[in-house]
Amino acid sequence: MALRMWASKSATFLKISSFSRPFATVVKDLKYADSHEWAKVEGSSATVGITDHAQDHLGDVVYVELPEVGTDVTQGNSFGAVESVKATSDINSPVSGKVVEVNEELNDSPALVNSSPYEKGWIIKVQLSNNDEVKSLMDSDSYSKFCDEEDAKH
Amino acid sequence: MRIPRKLEVWRMGTMNYLNALKLQEKLASDRKACKISDTLLSLQHPPTYTLGKRRTDHNLLVSEDELKTMGAELHYTQRGGDITYHGPSQAILYPIISLRDIGLGARNYVEKLELTMINLASTYGVQARPGRKCETGVWVGERKIGAIGVRISSGISSHGLAFNINPDLNYFKHIVPCGLADKEVTSLTREANAELPTEEVIEEQLIASFAQLLNYDNIEWKDNASAS
Repeated sequence: MALRMWASKSATFLKISSFSRPFATVVKDLKYADSHEWAKVEGSSATVGITDHAQDHLGDVVYVELPEVGTDVTQGNSFGAVESVKATSDINSPVSGKVVEVNEELNDSPALVNSSPYEKGWIIKVQLSNNDEVKSLMDSDSYSKFCDEEDAKH
Repeated sequence: MRIPRKLEVWRMGTMNYLNALKLQEKLASDRKACKISDTLLSLQHPPTYTLGKRRTDHNLLVSEDELKTMGAELHYTQRGGDITYHGPSQAILYPIISLRDIGLGARNYVEKLELTMINLASTYGVQARPGRKCETGVWVGERKIGAIGVRISSGISSHGLAFNINPDLNYFKHIVPCGLADKEVTSLTREANAELPTEEVIEEQLIASFAQLLNYDNIEWKDNASAS
Protein backbone atom coordinates (compact mmCIF):
# COMPACT_ATOMS: atom_id res chain seq x y z
CA MET A 1 0.00 0.00 0.00
CA ALA A 2 2.77 2.39 1.01
CA LEU A 3 4.75 1.43 -2.07
CA ARG A 4 1.85 2.25 -4.36
CA MET A 5 1.43 5.68 -2.68
CA TRP A 6 5.11 6.36 -3.10
CA ALA A 7 4.99 5.30 -6.75
CA SER A 8 2.01 7.53 -7.39
CA LYS A 9 3.68 10.52 -5.67
CA SER A 10 6.88 9.94 -7.66
CA ALA A 11 4.88 9.75 -10.85
CA THR A 12 3.21 13.09 -10.10
CA PHE A 13 6.57 14.68 -9.19
CA LEU A 14 8.17 13.40 -12.40
CA LYS A 15 5.09 14.42 -14.37
CA ILE A 16 4.59 10.89 -15.62
CA SER A 17 1.08 9.53 -16.13
CA SER A 18 0.70 6.10 -14.70
CA PHE A 19 -1.56 3.46 -16.21
CA SER A 20 -3.03 0.16 -15.27
CA ARG A 21 -0.68 -1.17 -17.95
CA PRO A 22 2.82 -0.79 -16.51
CA PHE A 23 4.48 -0.02 -19.84
CA ALA A 24 4.50 2.97 -22.20
CA THR A 25 4.97 6.04 -20.07
CA VAL A 26 3.76 9.35 -21.42
CA VAL A 27 5.25 12.62 -20.19
CA LYS A 28 2.98 15.60 -19.52
CA ASP A 29 3.93 18.97 -21.06
CA LEU A 30 5.27 17.31 -24.22
CA LYS A 31 3.42 17.34 -27.53
CA TYR A 32 2.84 14.19 -29.55
CA ALA A 33 2.41 13.20 -33.19
CA ASP A 34 0.27 10.26 -34.28
CA SER A 35 3.39 8.66 -35.72
CA HIS A 36 4.71 8.39 -32.14
CA GLU A 37 7.26 11.19 -31.99
CA TRP A 38 7.33 13.78 -29.19
CA ALA A 39 8.30 17.45 -29.20
CA LYS A 40 9.42 19.51 -26.21
CA VAL A 41 8.76 23.10 -27.24
CA GLU A 42 10.80 25.81 -25.55
CA GLY A 43 10.22 29.23 -27.05
CA SER A 44 11.00 29.06 -30.74
CA SER A 45 12.86 25.76 -30.64
CA ALA A 46 11.93 22.17 -29.94
CA THR A 47 13.66 18.94 -28.97
CA VAL A 48 12.34 15.86 -30.79
CA GLY A 49 12.44 12.15 -30.07
CA ILE A 50 10.32 9.03 -30.23
CA THR A 51 7.96 7.95 -27.48
CA ASP A 52 8.15 5.08 -25.02
CA HIS A 53 5.28 3.42 -26.93
CA ALA A 54 7.32 3.69 -30.13
CA GLN A 55 10.52 2.25 -28.70
CA ASP A 56 8.63 -0.62 -27.12
CA HIS A 57 7.01 -1.48 -30.46
CA LEU A 58 10.30 -1.19 -32.34
CA GLY A 59 12.42 -3.52 -30.25
CA ASP A 60 16.11 -3.01 -29.50
CA VAL A 61 17.42 -0.10 -31.57
CA VAL A 62 20.80 -0.90 -33.11
CA TYR A 63 21.25 2.09 -35.38
CA VAL A 64 19.95 5.65 -35.69
CA GLU A 65 20.28 7.54 -38.97
CA LEU A 66 20.62 11.21 -38.02
CA PRO A 67 20.11 14.17 -40.37
CA GLU A 68 22.88 16.74 -40.85
CA VAL A 69 22.76 19.94 -38.84
CA GLY A 70 21.24 22.62 -41.03
CA THR A 71 18.77 20.27 -42.73
CA ASP A 72 15.21 21.53 -43.11
CA VAL A 73 12.49 19.39 -41.60
CA THR A 74 8.76 19.52 -42.33
CA GLN A 75 5.96 18.49 -39.99
CA GLY A 76 4.84 14.96 -40.88
CA ASN A 77 7.81 14.20 -43.13
CA SER A 78 10.66 11.80 -42.54
CA PHE A 79 13.99 13.19 -41.27
CA GLY A 80 15.84 10.04 -40.30
CA ALA A 81 15.40 6.41 -39.40
CA VAL A 82 16.03 3.84 -36.70
CA GLU A 83 16.92 0.19 -37.21
CA SER A 84 15.71 -2.56 -34.89
CA VAL A 85 15.12 -6.29 -35.41
CA LYS A 86 16.23 -6.05 -39.06
CA ALA A 87 13.63 -3.34 -39.75
CA THR A 88 14.42 0.27 -40.63
CA SER A 89 11.61 2.59 -39.57
CA ASP A 90 11.41 6.20 -40.74
CA ILE A 91 11.13 8.89 -38.07
CA ASN A 92 8.84 11.78 -38.95
CA SER A 93 9.26 15.29 -37.61
CA PRO A 94 6.38 16.60 -35.48
CA VAL A 95 7.49 20.17 -36.27
CA SER A 96 8.86 22.21 -39.19
CA GLY A 97 12.09 24.16 -39.09
CA LYS A 98 15.85 23.76 -39.27
CA VAL A 99 17.90 21.14 -37.45
CA VAL A 100 20.30 22.96 -35.11
CA GLU A 101 21.63 20.00 -33.15
CA VAL A 102 21.62 16.21 -33.39
CA ASN A 103 22.28 13.74 -30.58
CA GLU A 104 25.70 12.39 -31.62
CA GLU A 105 25.66 10.03 -28.61
CA LEU A 106 23.18 7.89 -30.52
CA ASN A 107 25.93 6.94 -32.97
CA ASP A 108 27.73 4.96 -30.29
CA SER A 109 24.76 4.25 -28.04
CA PRO A 110 21.62 3.80 -30.15
CA ALA A 111 19.98 1.87 -27.29
CA LEU A 112 19.51 5.18 -25.43
CA VAL A 113 16.37 5.48 -27.54
CA ASN A 114 15.03 2.40 -25.75
CA SER A 115 16.30 3.07 -22.23
CA SER A 116 15.62 6.82 -22.10
CA PRO A 117 13.27 7.84 -24.93
CA TYR A 118 12.31 11.21 -23.42
CA GLU A 119 15.66 12.25 -21.96
CA LYS A 120 19.04 10.88 -23.07
CA GLY A 121 17.49 9.34 -26.21
CA TRP A 122 16.48 12.70 -27.73
CA ILE A 123 17.20 12.77 -31.46
CA ILE A 124 17.24 16.30 -32.92
CA LYS A 125 16.76 19.92 -31.88
CA VAL A 126 14.87 22.15 -34.29
CA GLN A 127 14.63 25.92 -34.71
CA LEU A 128 10.90 26.22 -35.41
CA SER A 129 9.73 27.95 -38.56
CA ASN A 130 6.09 27.95 -37.49
CA ASN A 131 5.09 27.86 -33.83
CA ASP A 132 1.39 27.53 -34.76
CA GLU A 133 1.95 24.03 -36.10
CA VAL A 134 2.45 22.77 -32.55
CA LYS A 135 -1.29 23.29 -31.96
CA SER A 136 -2.06 20.37 -34.27
CA LEU A 137 -0.10 17.96 -32.05
CA MET A 138 -1.70 15.93 -29.24
CA ASP A 139 -1.26 16.58 -25.56
CA SER A 140 -0.26 13.74 -23.24
CA ASP A 141 -3.84 12.67 -22.40
CA SER A 142 -4.96 12.55 -26.04
CA TYR A 143 -1.80 10.67 -26.98
CA SER A 144 -2.30 8.07 -24.24
CA LYS A 145 -5.82 7.48 -25.50
CA PHE A 146 -4.54 7.27 -29.07
CA CYS A 147 -2.00 4.59 -28.07
CA ASP A 148 -4.67 2.54 -26.32
CA GLU A 149 -6.92 2.69 -29.38
CA GLU A 150 -4.08 1.69 -31.66
CA ASP A 151 -3.05 -1.24 -29.49
CA ALA A 152 -6.64 -2.46 -29.40
CA LYS A 153 -6.57 -2.92 -33.17
CA HIS A 154 -4.75 -6.23 -33.04
CA MET B 1 -18.80 -5.19 -37.77
CA ARG B 2 -15.22 -5.78 -38.83
CA ILE B 3 -14.34 -4.81 -42.39
CA PRO B 4 -12.96 -7.89 -44.21
CA ARG B 5 -9.22 -7.62 -44.82
CA LYS B 6 -8.11 -8.33 -48.35
CA LEU B 7 -4.61 -9.21 -49.51
CA GLU B 8 -3.74 -8.88 -53.18
CA VAL B 9 -0.96 -11.29 -54.14
CA TRP B 10 1.16 -10.72 -57.23
CA ARG B 11 3.13 -13.78 -58.33
CA MET B 12 6.01 -12.37 -60.37
CA GLY B 13 8.15 -15.43 -61.15
CA THR B 14 11.86 -14.54 -61.40
CA MET B 15 12.38 -10.81 -61.20
CA ASN B 16 15.49 -8.64 -61.38
CA TYR B 17 16.23 -7.01 -58.02
CA LEU B 18 16.12 -3.39 -59.16
CA ASN B 19 12.86 -3.92 -61.02
CA ALA B 20 11.37 -5.45 -57.89
CA LEU B 21 12.63 -2.50 -55.85
CA LYS B 22 11.04 0.03 -58.24
CA LEU B 23 7.77 -1.91 -58.16
CA GLN B 24 7.80 -1.94 -54.35
CA GLU B 25 8.41 1.82 -54.23
CA LYS B 26 5.47 2.44 -56.56
CA LEU B 27 3.20 0.10 -54.61
CA ALA B 28 4.23 1.60 -51.25
CA SER B 29 3.48 5.08 -52.55
CA ASP B 30 0.07 3.92 -53.87
CA ARG B 31 -0.68 2.16 -50.60
CA LYS B 32 0.21 5.27 -48.60
CA ALA B 33 -2.25 7.23 -50.79
CA CYS B 34 -4.85 4.49 -50.21
CA LYS B 35 -5.06 3.86 -53.97
CA ILE B 36 -4.51 0.13 -53.45
CA SER B 37 -5.16 -2.40 -50.73
CA ASP B 38 -2.47 -4.42 -48.92
CA THR B 39 -0.36 -6.12 -51.57
CA LEU B 40 2.15 -8.97 -51.45
CA LEU B 41 4.79 -9.71 -54.06
CA SER B 42 5.83 -13.35 -54.35
CA LEU B 43 8.94 -13.90 -56.45
CA GLN B 44 12.49 -15.17 -56.81
CA HIS B 45 15.62 -13.25 -57.80
CA PRO B 46 18.54 -14.21 -60.06
CA PRO B 47 21.79 -14.42 -58.05
CA THR B 48 21.90 -11.13 -56.12
CA TYR B 49 23.70 -9.86 -53.03
CA THR B 50 22.13 -7.01 -51.10
CA LEU B 51 23.18 -4.74 -48.25
CA GLY B 52 20.98 -2.90 -45.78
CA LYS B 53 20.91 0.73 -44.66
CA ARG B 54 24.00 0.29 -42.49
CA ARG B 55 26.00 -0.66 -45.59
CA THR B 56 27.94 -3.42 -43.88
CA ASP B 57 30.04 -4.22 -46.93
CA HIS B 58 32.89 -5.50 -44.78
CA ASN B 59 30.77 -8.66 -44.74
CA LEU B 60 31.24 -9.11 -48.49
CA LEU B 61 34.23 -11.42 -48.85
CA VAL B 62 34.88 -11.01 -52.56
CA SER B 63 35.27 -7.99 -54.83
CA GLU B 64 32.46 -6.61 -56.94
CA ASP B 65 34.34 -7.71 -60.06
CA GLU B 66 34.43 -11.28 -58.83
CA LEU B 67 30.68 -11.08 -58.23
CA LYS B 68 30.16 -9.96 -61.82
CA THR B 69 32.24 -12.90 -63.03
CA MET B 70 29.95 -15.21 -61.05
CA GLY B 71 26.99 -13.59 -62.76
CA ALA B 72 25.70 -12.01 -59.55
CA GLU B 73 24.57 -8.44 -58.88
CA LEU B 74 25.18 -6.30 -55.77
CA HIS B 75 22.67 -3.73 -54.48
CA TYR B 76 22.56 -1.27 -51.60
CA THR B 77 19.12 -0.82 -50.06
CA GLN B 78 17.24 1.05 -47.35
CA ARG B 79 16.03 -2.07 -45.57
CA GLY B 80 17.13 -3.17 -42.12
CA GLY B 81 19.49 -6.07 -41.68
CA ASP B 82 22.94 -7.02 -42.86
CA ILE B 83 24.27 -8.54 -46.09
CA THR B 84 22.42 -11.41 -47.68
CA TYR B 85 22.15 -13.50 -50.86
CA HIS B 86 19.05 -14.02 -52.98
CA GLY B 87 18.84 -16.51 -55.83
CA PRO B 88 16.89 -19.23 -57.64
CA SER B 89 14.92 -21.60 -55.38
CA GLN B 90 14.71 -19.09 -52.61
CA ALA B 91 11.11 -17.95 -52.00
CA ILE B 92 10.80 -14.22 -51.47
CA LEU B 93 7.76 -12.39 -50.07
CA TYR B 94 7.63 -8.59 -50.15
CA PRO B 95 4.49 -7.48 -48.27
CA ILE B 96 3.53 -3.88 -49.03
CA ILE B 97 1.01 -3.45 -46.25
CA SER B 98 -0.16 -0.75 -43.90
CA LEU B 99 1.17 -1.66 -40.48
CA ARG B 100 -0.25 1.59 -39.15
CA ASP B 101 -3.81 0.54 -40.05
CA ILE B 102 -3.52 -2.50 -37.82
CA GLY B 103 -1.42 -0.84 -35.13
CA LEU B 104 1.47 -3.26 -35.67
CA GLY B 105 4.98 -2.14 -34.68
CA ALA B 106 8.24 -3.33 -36.21
CA ARG B 107 8.91 -5.92 -33.55
CA ASN B 108 5.50 -7.62 -33.81
CA TYR B 109 5.56 -7.50 -37.60
CA VAL B 110 8.98 -9.13 -37.79
CA GLU B 111 7.82 -11.81 -35.32
CA LYS B 112 4.94 -12.59 -37.69
CA LEU B 113 7.34 -12.81 -40.63
CA GLU B 114 9.43 -15.27 -38.63
CA LEU B 115 6.33 -17.29 -37.74
CA THR B 116 5.26 -17.31 -41.38
CA MET B 117 8.39 -19.31 -42.21
CA ILE B 118 8.39 -21.38 -39.01
CA ASN B 119 4.81 -22.55 -39.60
CA LEU B 120 5.55 -23.41 -43.22
CA ALA B 121 8.63 -25.40 -42.22
CA SER B 122 6.69 -27.37 -39.62
CA THR B 123 4.32 -28.52 -42.39
CA TYR B 124 7.25 -30.59 -43.60
CA GLY B 125 8.31 -31.80 -40.19
CA VAL B 126 11.10 -29.24 -39.88
CA GLN B 127 11.33 -27.68 -36.42
CA ALA B 128 12.44 -24.12 -36.96
CA ARG B 129 12.71 -21.37 -34.35
CA PRO B 130 12.99 -17.59 -34.31
CA GLY B 131 16.43 -16.04 -33.84
CA ARG B 132 17.75 -15.15 -30.41
CA LYS B 133 18.69 -11.55 -29.61
CA CYS B 134 20.55 -9.87 -32.51
CA GLU B 135 19.89 -12.95 -34.67
CA THR B 136 16.56 -12.05 -36.26
CA GLY B 137 15.57 -14.70 -38.76
CA VAL B 138 14.52 -18.33 -38.79
CA TRP B 139 16.82 -21.13 -37.65
CA VAL B 140 16.90 -24.90 -37.62
CA GLY B 141 19.26 -25.62 -34.78
CA GLU B 142 22.23 -23.34 -35.48
CA ARG B 143 21.59 -23.23 -39.24
CA LYS B 144 19.75 -20.33 -40.82
CA ILE B 145 16.86 -21.22 -43.15
CA GLY B 146 15.12 -17.86 -43.50
CA ALA B 147 16.18 -14.22 -43.48
CA ILE B 148 14.31 -10.99 -42.84
CA GLY B 149 14.99 -7.39 -43.86
CA VAL B 150 12.24 -4.81 -43.70
CA ARG B 151 11.67 -1.15 -44.36
CA ILE B 152 8.80 0.78 -42.73
CA SER B 153 8.06 4.22 -44.10
CA SER B 154 4.93 6.22 -43.19
CA GLY B 155 3.64 3.05 -41.58
CA ILE B 156 3.88 1.05 -44.85
CA SER B 157 6.14 -2.01 -45.11
CA SER B 158 8.41 -2.98 -47.97
CA HIS B 159 11.11 -5.63 -48.49
CA GLY B 160 10.31 -8.69 -46.35
CA LEU B 161 11.46 -12.27 -46.07
CA ALA B 162 13.57 -14.81 -47.95
CA PHE B 163 13.02 -18.52 -47.34
CA ASN B 164 15.52 -21.11 -48.61
CA ILE B 165 13.66 -23.88 -50.43
CA ASN B 166 16.67 -25.26 -52.34
CA PRO B 167 19.05 -22.47 -53.38
CA ASP B 168 22.70 -23.16 -54.23
CA LEU B 169 24.14 -22.60 -50.75
CA ASN B 170 27.67 -22.12 -52.14
CA TYR B 171 26.74 -18.55 -52.98
CA PHE B 172 26.57 -17.83 -49.24
CA LYS B 173 30.29 -18.64 -48.93
CA HIS B 174 31.16 -15.26 -50.46
CA ILE B 175 29.59 -13.30 -47.59
CA VAL B 176 29.35 -13.38 -43.83
CA PRO B 177 25.57 -13.99 -44.01
CA CYS B 178 23.67 -11.43 -41.96
CA GLY B 179 26.98 -10.50 -40.34
CA LEU B 180 27.03 -13.72 -38.30
CA ALA B 181 30.31 -15.57 -38.73
CA ASP B 182 30.49 -19.29 -37.89
CA LYS B 183 26.83 -19.81 -38.65
CA GLU B 184 25.71 -22.19 -41.37
CA VAL B 185 22.97 -21.59 -43.88
CA THR B 186 20.50 -24.33 -44.73
CA SER B 187 17.38 -25.02 -46.80
CA LEU B 188 14.04 -26.82 -46.60
CA THR B 189 15.33 -29.49 -48.98
CA ARG B 190 18.28 -30.19 -46.67
CA GLU B 191 16.26 -30.27 -43.47
CA ALA B 192 13.06 -32.04 -44.53
CA ASN B 193 12.84 -35.82 -44.43
CA ALA B 194 9.57 -35.82 -46.34
CA GLU B 195 9.41 -35.48 -50.11
CA LEU B 196 8.70 -31.91 -51.11
CA PRO B 197 6.07 -30.74 -53.63
CA THR B 198 6.94 -28.24 -56.36
CA GLU B 199 8.34 -24.83 -55.43
CA GLU B 200 5.13 -23.25 -56.66
CA VAL B 201 3.14 -25.20 -54.09
CA ILE B 202 5.57 -24.33 -51.30
CA GLU B 203 5.41 -20.64 -52.23
CA GLU B 204 1.61 -20.75 -52.15
CA GLN B 205 1.72 -22.32 -48.71
CA LEU B 206 4.14 -19.63 -47.53
CA ILE B 207 1.73 -16.96 -48.75
CA ALA B 208 -1.19 -18.71 -47.03
CA SER B 209 0.84 -18.89 -43.82
CA PHE B 210 1.48 -15.13 -43.99
CA ALA B 211 -2.16 -14.33 -44.78
CA GLN B 212 -3.36 -16.36 -41.84
CA LEU B 213 -0.96 -14.75 -39.37
CA LEU B 214 -1.87 -11.25 -40.51
CA ASN B 215 -5.60 -12.05 -40.28
CA TYR B 216 -6.55 -11.56 -43.91
CA ASP B 217 -10.05 -12.72 -44.79
CA ASN B 218 -9.47 -13.15 -48.49
CA ILE B 219 -6.65 -13.37 -50.99
CA GLU B 220 -6.89 -12.08 -54.54
CA TRP B 221 -4.34 -13.68 -56.88
CA LYS B 222 -2.75 -11.78 -59.75
CA ASP B 223 -0.25 -13.78 -61.78
CA ASN B 224 2.59 -12.13 -63.69
CA ALA B 225 0.95 -8.78 -63.07
CA SER B 226 2.93 -5.98 -64.63
CA ALA B 227 3.62 -2.69 -62.90
CA SER B 228 1.19 -0.08 -64.21
